[in-house]
Amino acid sequence: MNRSLVILLGALVLCAALLGGSYAVSRHVCQSCMSKSVSDLDWLQQEFHLSDAELARIQKLHEGYLPKCAEMCAKIAAKKSELETALGGTTNVNPVAQQKLAELAALRAQCQAQMLQHFTEVSQTMPPEQGRRYLAEMQRLTLGFHEQTEQTMSGSMGHEHHH
Amino acid sequence: MGGGTNPAALEPMNKENINPDPGFAEASDAKLGALLRASRVSPELPPRFHEGVWRRIEKAAAPAKSNGGIAWLDALAALVLRPRLALATAAVLMVAGALLGVRDGNQMAHQDAQARYLAAVAPHSLR
Repeated sequence: MNRSLVILLGALVLCAALLGGSYAVSRHVCQSCMSKSVSDLDWLQQEFHLSDAELARIQKLHEGYLPKCAEMCAKIAAKKSELETALGGTTNVNPVAQQKLAELAALRAQCQAQMLQHFTEVSQTMPPEQGRRYLAEMQRLTLGFHEQTEQTMSGSMGHEHHH
Repeated sequence: MGGGTNPAALEPMNKENINPDPGFAEASDAKLGALLRASRVSPELPPRFHEGVWRRIEKAAAPAKSNGGIAWLDALAALVLRPRLALATAAVLMVAGALLGVRDGNQMAHQDAQARYLAAVAPHSLR
């Protein structure tokens, strides 16, 4: 009995090793092969089935948008630094810090508006159906995070109010 | 020659001494048998003797039951050790693993590409 049991257990282990090994190797190879020559826009082309001409137009929009985005990011980073300085060493939110917070929020809103404008322009270069899907997906991915956080917060607040 | 014993004269006497009457001999054998049986001491059975006997019988039958399990395992082990079956199973498992790996690798590469695009157009400070 022991010998048969050992054989069967050994066979099971071998099967698991074969399945797991071939899975891990092929996943690694596939992932590394597909990520080798990927540019920022490869996902767009794959996901929204874009032609080369559509991709070229989007590439132009993308290259035009990136410097603006970097500029806004630099402004936001500078404003965050100013806010940290205004908050530094104090135990309360002083008027200067409040002003810096408002300016930071305004900059973020401006940056988001610019980003949404870019998404709209990109969606307009796509076939209508794909464009709608792209816009919805990008709004979900970029603005959905805030919605999720706000919903969680309001849910927990409501919970507290019940008590 | 004249001084020798006559065997014919001795014959009736021998017969008489050994087996004078067959009926009498059988009766004395039966008596002797009965006497011997009566004289034999048959010890009393120990308490719960029958129960003990049945328990031993059941105990002896138990391994026979587990032998069935051993046979089943042995048959399965023999099946597993067949080279053709083992090779076919290994091939099927490797192909299945590779297919699953390619599918998941594609998904992961797709997610990586999406994350790269998002990182380019929507920095984390905005999300």
